[in-house]
Amino acid sequence: MKRFGVVRCLATVAVASLTLTACGSTASSNGSDGAASGKKRTLGVSFDLLNAIRQAEKSSIQKAAEAAGYSVIFNVADQDAQKQASQIQDLIQTKKVDAVIVIAQDGQQIASSASLAKARNVPFLAIDRSVADQQNITFQITGDPVADGKAVAAEFIAAAKTTPLKVLELVGGLTDQNAIGRRDGFNAAVAGQPNITVVSQVPTDWNPTQALDGTSNALQKDPTINAIYVPSDFLLPSVQSALTAAGRLAPIGDPKHVFMVTIDGDQNGCKAMQAKTLDADIATPVDEFGKQAIAAVTTALGGRPVDPKTVQAKGLTLNQANFATTSSQVWGCAS
Amino acid sequence: MSRATDCYGRLRAVLRREPLLPVLVVVLLGLAASYHEFATVANFRNIAVQASPLIVAAVGMTYVIMTAGIDLSVGSMLFLAAAIESSRAVVGLPTAVVFAVICATGVLMGLLNGVAVAFTRVPALIVTLATMQVFRGAGGHVTGQQNIDLPANLRGIGTGSLLGVPTPVLIAAAVALGGGFVFSRTTFGRYVQAVGSNPDAAVNAGLPVRRVLVGAYAVAGLLAAVASLTQTARLGAVQPSIGQGFELTVITAVVLGGTTLFGGRGSIGGTVLGALVLTTVQTGLVFSGASPYVFDIVRGSVLLAAVLAAGARWRKLAHAVGLTGRGRPSRDGRYGGATSA
Repeated sequence: MKRFGVVRCLATVAVASLTLTACGSTASSNGSDGAASGKKRTLGVSFDLLNAIRQAEKSSIQKAAEAAGYSVIFNVADQDAQKQASQIQDLIQTKKVDAVIVIAQDGQQIASSASLAKARNVPFLAIDRSVADQQNITFQITGDPVADGKAVAAEFIAAAKTTPLKVLELVGGLTDQNAIGRRDGFNAAVAGQPNITVVSQVPTDWNPTQALDGTSNALQKDPTINAIYVPSDFLLPSVQSALTAAGRLAPIGDPKHVFMVTIDGDQNGCKAMQAKTLDADIATPVDEFGKQAIAAVTTALGGRPVDPKTVQAKGLTLNQANFATTSSQVWGCAS
Repeated sequence: MSRATDCYGRLRAVLRREPLLPVLVVVLLGLAASYHEFATVANFRNIAVQASPLIVAAVGMTYVIMTAGIDLSVGSMLFLAAAIESSRAVVGLPTAVVFAVICATGVLMGLLNGVAVAFTRVPALIVTLATMQVFRGAGGHVTGQQNIDLPANLRGIGTGSLLGVPTPVLIAAAVALGGGFVFSRTTFGRYVQAVGSNPDAAVNAGLPVRRVLVGAYAVAGLLAAVASLTQTARLGAVQPSIGQGFELTVITAVVLGGTTLFGGRGSIGGTVLGALVLTTVQTGLVFSGASPYVFDIVRGSVLLAAVLAAGARWRKLAHAVGLTGRGRPSRDGRYGGATSA
């Protein structure tokens, strides 16, 4: 019995270690970057997750930090707000970083981390996702989801001048400010447009399978749908698969072509633009995030106030007309 | 007359065994009556294809839940299997070899869960919560968190068909029939039910309880990997967020199908019906043009209804065996005392 109890204890410890190992495997993917060396100043970076756009944002920060002479300790919270709070606490209290840059998993919950940073006099910067409590934030740079939604709508409105559009509108996560902003900006801009009818709104929860199933179902319900608003490039392969299954994935000019516009400007979008199956892509200014965040860190560490404290960077419209001249500025086409 | 009585008796027996069947029929008829585009062959085919990965993974989960366990790592196993499928070392191999590699990966992941649960008696919830992170982290490492397109031969698993029946549906049908056969006609299947009903009695009867537990989790791992093949083939790519939250959908399908979370009772047929009801409701929501917010409300309500129904079934069972309806969990979280009373 006793021996069994020891086995259970060991097993519990093993499981706990396994969990910690799992956390560590993704959370400190680039830990060596941050090895404190000499008097070099160190920045702590905590991302909510690591996907294609986050990889680009990470590169942008690393490039700008290296140019400014900072080293970087990089963490990923695996979409866990509690874990992100612990990581930031560790960065500030144990690793004693000089500044913290975050992409918040939860714009509300990150407030406690920001106040901890303020108490320790560590500049706290938020990028990509906005933070609810601005009081303790040194600098924030995000995209402008409403403006991006409006930019998508501008492409739809231009296309609707020649062909009436029956639109399937996919919506991202309903608790995500970016998703809501992109939806609201689009809906406000197309409201009242005589040649644009939104026939179906389908939530995807930023889940590729839900995007695939939702698009398939909407095309079944209304085969006359001839336009789709995809709120992120990472859902594009799902939509393309649904269109392929329905025999509707065709390049611009083909009568079967479905007019499509997405946001983000990643590799999926860039490839689809080249194949002419995608009409436009509103690219997130990822490079600006890194450059402006590091510039703000330098200002704050120099003891000067950062002004402006909040920046909203609008997306860059990439369409078939300007593809040749503009694609080099889009992170997904450049990488 | 006697033939009619016989048919009626059989129908009653089927309805008693699968109470979800009339629910599915009512939902289908209601949607068909409301939207004329719904009752088309193309749409039913669409629903069947969409339900296929869920059916495959849910059959595996049924085995685990039948042992009074749970597997929260199913979505992450799906992702890691997909990641390995898309890796350079595997993706260029012939389809049959890829299939074998993915199945082996699934079995290994399931074995890890099973051995940890069976030999340590750490609750399955904790073990699979940990491995959920391990598998997702490993998948992220393999893919570099990038979208990876699959070659045409692997996409064919999702888009091909045989005699007009889509390949994912054929795979799901084969898994459901095979799973049902193993469950009801083999020694392993009966052991699974016995272990879930009363693990102490199973030990006393000399049943290989640990091996049965390991086997159940290995089946769940294998079928999560098979589900990943159909899922990624349909998507045409492996994406970092694939399988996230899938475990909840799978568990909902199993519980909705009548398998009790306390183990020992359930059926593969019920699980298949549970998956079909979930997928049909999801399709119906798109047809209805409901607000995106309604989707979450309906999904949550279905889960709640499933859990309440499972609770009602548990109370009925506890009453039948002389308990007052308040079974107490044993040290490892199982309600072993209920059926032994």
